[in-house]
Formats: sequence, structure tokens, C-alpha cells
Amino acid sequence: MFRNVQVGGLRYILTRLLLMIPTLFLVMVIIFLLVRLLPGDPAIAMAGDRASDAELEAIRERLGLNEPMLVQFWLFLSNTLQGDLGRSILMRAPVTQTIFDRLPTTLLLTFLAMLLSLLIAGPLAFVAALRRGRIADTVIRSTFQVGLSTPVFYLGLLLLTFLAAGLHWFPVGGYGDTFVSNLYHLILPAMTVALYTSAIIMRNLRSAVIEVLDAEYVQFARAKGLADRLILGRHVLRNALISTVTLVGLSIGNLMSGTLVTETVFAVPGLGRLMLEAIFARDYPLIQGLTLTFAVLVSLVFLLTDLFQSWLDPRMRAT
Amino acid sequence: MKKTLFVAALALSTAMTTSLFAQERGGVMTFARYDGSRLIDPIYADRNPDIWMVGSLFDTLLRTSADSQSVEPGLAESYSVSDDGLTVSLTLRDGLMFSDGSDLTGEDVVFSLDRARDPDLSPWAGLLGSINEVSADGQEVTLSLASPDPSILSMLATFNTAIVSKDAFDAAEGATDQERSAAIFAAGGPGVGSGPFYMSDFEQGASMSFTANPHYWRMGADGDPLPYLDGVEFEIIPDDATRILRLQAGEVDAAEFVPFSRVAELEADPDINMELFPSTRIIYAPINTRDTRADGSPNPLADVRVRQALNYAMNKDALIQLVLQGAGQPMSSPLMAAATQLSADLSPLYAYDMDRASSLIEEAGLPEGTEITFTTLAGSADDATVFAALQQMWAPLGIELVVQQVDNPTRGAMNRSGEFDIHTYGWVNDVNDPSQVVGWLGYNPTAQAVGTGWNDDEFNAIFEAANVEIDPETRAEQYRQLQEMYADAAPLLFMWETPFAVAVSNDITGYVQTPLGNNLFEEAQVTR
Repeated sequence: MFRNVQVGGLRYILTRLLLMIPTLFLVMVIIFLLVRLLPGDPAIAMAGDRASDAELEAIRERLGLNEPMLVQFWLFLSNTLQGDLGRSILMRAPVTQTIFDRLPTTLLLTFLAMLLSLLIAGPLAFVAALRRGRIADTVIRSTFQVGLSTPVFYLGLLLLTFLAAGLHWFPVGGYGDTFVSNLYHLILPAMTVALYTSAIIMRNLRSAVIEVLDAEYVQFARAKGLADRLILGRHVLRNALISTVTLVGLSIGNLMSGTLVTETVFAVPGLGRLMLEAIFARDYPLIQGLTLTFAVLVSLVFLLTDLFQSWLDPRMRAT
Repeated sequence: MKKTLFVAALALSTAMTTSLFAQERGGVMTFARYDGSRLIDPIYADRNPDIWMVGSLFDTLLRTSADSQSVEPGLAESYSVSDDGLTVSLTLRDGLMFSDGSDLTGEDVVFSLDRARDPDLSPWAGLLGSINEVSADGQEVTLSLASPDPSILSMLATFNTAIVSKDAFDAAEGATDQERSAAIFAAGGPGVGSGPFYMSDFEQGASMSFTANPHYWRMGADGDPLPYLDGVEFEIIPDDATRILRLQAGEVDAAEFVPFSRVAELEADPDINMELFPSTRIIYAPINTRDTRADGSPNPLADVRVRQALNYAMNKDALIQLVLQGAGQPMSSPLMAAATQLSADLSPLYAYDMDRASSLIEEAGLPEGTEITFTTLAGSADDATVFAALQQMWAPLGIELVVQQVDNPTRGAMNRSGEFDIHTYGWVNDVNDPSQVVGWLGYNPTAQAVGTGWNDDEFNAIFEAANVEIDPETRAEQYRQLQEMYADAAPLLFMWETPFAVAVSNDITGYVQTPLGNNLFEEAQVTR
């Protein structure tokens, strides 16, 4: 019995991993086309506005931009399958190397931001739900409403101005050399993203908790005379988490797109800032590589979310 | 016209130092940049963040004088041009060394210049098109030219002719010159250049370190070799506000590209020295002069009177207040910044005159309600302000100005394909000679006169003649003619010149950004 569950789980994971293949293929087709639909020309972006027409033609030839679209796509696809994402026009280096150099930074930032949003949202959501309609609830909800409606870059600048430049608690941007210093540098940017994400999570978790508190099985547990602590831990938390885990998984995409802004404002050398630079330079190979990387990361997080959910809610394993 | 110059290095370097106080030695300066370098190699540098750092790592045979109007000795202690203008002879200083202590010889010069003029390698090779052959015999270097070239001495003071070590390239790994260059850059360390610093550390997109070159030939005011600093640390902070905050928090010593809206605030800060370095940067707006627009409709801007009227109806002083908070001046030459050699002072160029503008519009018979599109850079506050102001200023002429927002690469592509009416553009000279900017703005074969489509045979012919004219007076006269013709034809909105705004901590003296944009740290000093 126990072994069967494990084998089933393994098969589930494998199926899910296989399902990622068509997803990623679609992503590749879309990004390949989107990049080329952007007005502007990588040759001009590369050689500068001042280049002569002959120079531009030479660059297009060298980058293979004169090949038919299908040939370009086939090259992109077959090279990608061999782990070769091409050379970045902007960085003059292999795309894979450029991405791997910066990947840890963005992963760390995203992880920190997620951790912070959970630490902020979790306890406050419970407090708000348990004190529904009272002052604590109102204060918490309105505070988060402000957080939700403040643009990320503005929030970032506010934090920088007061906590970093004003109080000197944190460095004003940058990344540092050692792991500890990296963490220290990333706290403010992570907080900036987290304040936004935690607002969404808090709202969802609060209503989920309220819903569960009103559910019959909780009423029953209460009637049974179970201690509040047990009810909250065993019944409420676990059931309220189910929808929240989905939301957390989904917001990973939000968090990653948030890095585009925060990494620029806080001068963090990660993938988000690289993506912005790549787009402005019309660096086709780098844009493609980065999008693919983000797609793989998001797919993996979705997979993890599903696995975690099926652990929380055994009913999902059957489907 | 045999001209030989001998200038002592010591006299020169003391003349360039303005400080009267004792020289501070040692210390590291940290500098916040708006964008990072990708590859600092004299011949491959093609973006300003690369170009403007070449001079710190590599040295040129000649140097641009402090007033930008002439050249003076660099690695070459003397130079001369033959009477027929076809031979340039240079004599290298004795005992020149690269930053690792290896000798810098004529062989390195030949290698470097051959690289620089190879069109398969360098995007800048066209600037050295007159060179037929470079040869060296001991300390003597000879350039044989195919045709006289009035800009050749300026070119030898330009970043793309800086000298690299042949040995370093021979020893580097890689099948092609590009790969060897990238390998040398990635490895860092001394040896490839002979500039005041060598690159000691580089992290793509994050930071970069320069360390003082102990073998640099130029002497400081105290009689010891430059630079005064032990090194320079660079941090890349793309966001304007963050860059300035970092300076205000004391975490960096300087922040470049300060937005003009912040200049007044920083000038009031007692701990910060707000530098506005004179530049060759001009802001202008190409006007589509073709008879028809890209979509085939008739183009009202093809009429020179309309273009002149737009220039007259642009209140430059008001705009400079609005956009630059006064930190700029109207263009005085239609083709170049005032700091460029041979610039003619035609100021006031199209002084604000609504009556004149109205009568020109009337003469041209421009119908009331003519729609003109003004293409702006999305997210650029400056462009948005310019558009809003021009919409107001031109409304009395019966012009309905509409905005179209695009990003930078799109704007570049539209300029090339002629799919625009008017859009803003900027320019900074790379070369200390007017031929580059005039070739770009006015000479049609380069890039259709900055995309305007303006094509004047007489202008083109004078430009070509000036490119081989070695008599300075004749050439100056040709350039005066070119500027007058261009002002009349008005293929541009002639807007303004802006300085380079760098906010520097009071702890730092002697940092300079040249009119070409080059960052000079060799005479910078830090006192803490």
C-alpha cells in the first residue's frame, strides 16, 4: 500500500515533467516570434545609431538574421536542445554562462522575498481572521491595501531613502562580495517585493481562514471540545493553506517580474535587470535564453506547488 | 608645412594640474556609473560606457589638449607631418612600458594601428581610411597616407588608436582577434595597456576595479609618476535616484549622469561638489525632409520654410529652463557643439521670433490644422516636456503636434527607414575633429544626413574636399560654409548643448570628464 503511493507519486512527477516539454516548446515558439515582432533592429542596437548601412548588413549576416525565419527557429531549437543558447550580442559571451552567472542572485532574491512575504502575511492573516471586523483586522487590512496600491519602484525608493540613506540600517543598493553581505544587500529589495506579494497572500489567507473557521467540521471540532490551539493547527491551518499554496505558487511569476524593477532600482546584478538590458539592446539570443529560464523556473515551482498541495490534501492525488 | 613639436612631459603635466596644494597620494576613489562596460578594448569599444574608459587603461600616441582645440605629445614625444601631407612621423618616448613592466615598442604601435584600421575588426576603421601603411624603426614610427588627412593627428589622440601590447595578444587564447581580446579582458590584470591604470577586477554588470599602473610615464605635480590614486572602484547603479542616494549616504565618491532636475539640490549640498563639465553633447531633432512621408502622403516638412518656421517658433531659452533647469545653452553652430574644433558661432541661431515664423508659414501656404508627429522616447521626462512645450509653441502656427512614444531601438530603426516626422536625438563627439559629427548630421552618404533625407550636392562636395584639405585656413573656411548652408536648410530643430553633470564628494579633487566624455582619473586625488 505504502509503496504504491510512492510509485504513483513518482509516476505523477514524471508525467508532470514530461508535460513541461510541450509547454516549453510553446514558450520557445512564442518568444521567438515575439522578439522578432518587436520593432527595432538588433544590428542597430548593437552597432549604434551611427553605423553605416554596410556595417549593419555585415552584423545581420554574422548573427544569422538574414536566414529565413524557419531556419532561424530550427537553429534556435536544435542548439537549445544541445544546451547551447547562443552568444549574447550585448555581453559578448555565451548566453548560458551569462545567465548562470546571475541566476543565483535572482534565486536568492526571489527566495528571500517569498520567505519575507510569508513571514509577514501568515501571522497577520490569522490575527485579522480571528479578530474579524475588529480594530486589528481593519488596521491590518487597510495597511496592506496601501502596500498593494503602491508601485514597486516607488516603495523601493521610499525604503532606500529612509532605511538606507537616512538611518543607514542598510546599504543603498549594490550586491556585496560574500554570501552574508549578499544577504544584507538583498534584504531591502526583497522587502520591497515582499510587501506587495504579502498583501495578496494576506488577503487570500485571511478569507480562507475565515471560510474554514465557519466550516462545519470546525464547528464540529469545537463542539467536540477540542482545544483552540489544536483546531487551529490541525484543521484550520492545513485547510486554509490549500488555496494559499496555489496562490504562492502563482505569485512566483509576479515575484520574478518584480525583480525587473527592484533589481534596477537597487542595482542588484540579477536576471531581471539583465532582461531589461537585453530587451533594450534587442539582444535576441539573450531575451530567448532568459525567457526560457524564467519559464523553466516557473514550471518547476508550479510542479512543487502541486506536490505540496497533494500532500496537504490527499483528495488531489486521486485526480 | 613642416611642423615639429617638442614639449617636455613635465611642463605639460604640471600645466594641467590646477591644484596649488600639496599632492595627496594613495587612496581609492569609488565611482557610481549609470551603465557598465562590456569590453574595454580600443578597437571594439562601441558604446560610451566602454569608449569613455579606454583612456584610463590604454594610452595614445598623441593627447588632446586641455582646451580640445589641438593635440599634444603622448606616447610619442614628438611628431611631424610632411609638406605634402602624406607622411606622419612620430618618435616614441624612451623607456615606455606597459603596466606589467614589459617594453612598449614600435612593433606594438604597428600592431595596434593595423588592428585599428582593419575594417574586418573595428567598427571605427573608417576613421583611419587614409592610412596606407604603418611602419616602425626603433623609436621612429611612420604613417604613410594614401591621401592627405587633416584629421589624422586628432585620430592619433583618439581612443581607437590607443596602443595595446602585441605580446599580450600573441599569448592570449583564442582563434580570432575578438576571442583573444575577450580572453584578455576577462582575465584582467596588468600588461595589455600602458594607461594610468590597469583593470584588476571585473564583474559583469556589477562592478569593476582599476589599479594604478606603477610604470605610467606621465609625472604628477610632485615629480613622481601619475596617477595619484591607488585605484578606482566602479559600481553600476542604473537608477538615477539610487545613484545619487548612494553618494549622499557617503557610500560612493562620485555619481555620473545626474539628471538636470537634481542639479540645484546637489549644488546646495555642502558635502558635494556638483560638476558641470563642458561637453560636445548636442540635443537636436532630425526633421524628415523627404517630399513624401513613408506612407506616401505629402510631407509638409519638405518645405524649408516650414522647417525654418519651426525653429523660429521654438523658445529655446524657455525650454532650457524647463528641461535642463537652465543647465545648458542653445546650439551656436547648427552642426556641432561649440567645444568642437572649427565650430562657427552663428548665435543666436534661430532666435525665438513668432512673427517671422508666422510669415514663413504663410509663405509656405501651410494649411491650418496640419498634423505633425513628434516621436518621443517612452519614459523620458525630458522628451515629454519638450513635446508638451512645442505643442503649445507651435499651435499658433496652425500645427497640430501629436505624440508617438517608442523605445530607443525602435527610434533608431524609424530614423533609418524615414518613418518619422520629427524626433529627438543626441550626439557626443568621439573624435576631436568636426568631420565625424558633420559627416553624421549633414553628409547624405553616411546615413542620409541623420535620417532626414536631406541631400545637398554642394554641401556634400565641400565636405569631401574638406576631408583632404590640409591647409588649416582653407579647411576652416570650408567648415564655416558648411555650417551656414546647414543652418539655412534647417534639416534639424537646433536645440541645445548640455554639460556632463557629475556629482563628486568634497573628498575628491582633480577628476575630469572631457568634452568627448572620457573619464579621467589620472590626476584625481582623495583626501579623507
